[in-house]
Amino acid sequence: MFDQVRAAWTPHGLSLLRIISGLLFLEHGTAKYLQLPHLAAFDSMTWSSMIDLAGIVEFTTGALLTVGLFTPIAAFLASGEMAVAYFTTWAPRSLLPILTPGGDLAVLYCFVFFYLIFAGSGPWSLDALLKRK
Amino acid sequence: MQKLDELCATWAPRLLSLLRFMTALVILQYALTKLFGVPYLEGLANQPAFSLYWFTGVIELVLGTLVLLGLFTRYAAFILSGEMAFAYFIEHAPHNFFPLLNEGNEAVLFCFTFLYLAAAGSGPFSLDAALRQNKRA
Repeated sequence: MFDQVRAAWTPHGLSLLRIISGLLFLEHGTAKYLQLPHLAAFDSMTWSSMIDLAGIVEFTTGALLTVGLFTPIAAFLASGEMAVAYFTTWAPRSLLPILTPGGDLAVLYCFVFFYLIFAGSGPWSLDALLKRK
Repeated sequence: MQKLDELCATWAPRLLSLLRFMTALVILQYALTKLFGVPYLEGLANQPAFSLYWFTGVIELVLGTLVLLGLFTRYAAFILSGEMAFAYFIEHAPHNFFPLLNEGNEAVLFCFTFLYLAAAGSGPFSLDAALRQNKRA
């Protein structure tokens, strides 16, 4: 019985993971562009820097992942962005991700989104809704 | 399109194992710094024995290792997910509503990744899978 419940709910768990990680990711984008929430580190954004580009990716892919639209493509971009972020920003500062605040998070995002490229968006998503039509 | 679907179907379980492995590695760093101070992280390293943080370090070390190896993954991941939920509400949520500002981002992501692993299991590259194959043979 336990196995049956688990098998039935695993795809929904995938959707849950996608929604939560998408929302967290979106938050990085909104903090950079809408100051929501306000983070002092992003006050000095110049609108032409690497971090700008990162904000655009986080904003759009975060929103797409949250609602589950074009999940594989959005996850691919988000995962790639996090890989670049890790190797350009965090890796040069220390060997282990734990020693730089944010390095850990980049690794986790990167692999969660990498999984989502192949696993898709699960039943609670616009992708699933479109497929049904 | 057919080909792409097939590709995804073969690779999704393998990448589940990769996700499991990497998440466990990241959490093991916290266990090692809390219990042994290696790597040394200011404010978190070398917790006194039997304190709350020491116990979380023990949980992370034992269950993190199990998840890393993919042994009893469902149970280990379920407990770790619960631990992370506690960590978020005790340690991070009281400071601020936004995870970005209360620095609970990582706890949330851990929590839901482990919850998913508890449901989805450990994938093909794991001791769980090896044991299952052995039983069948």
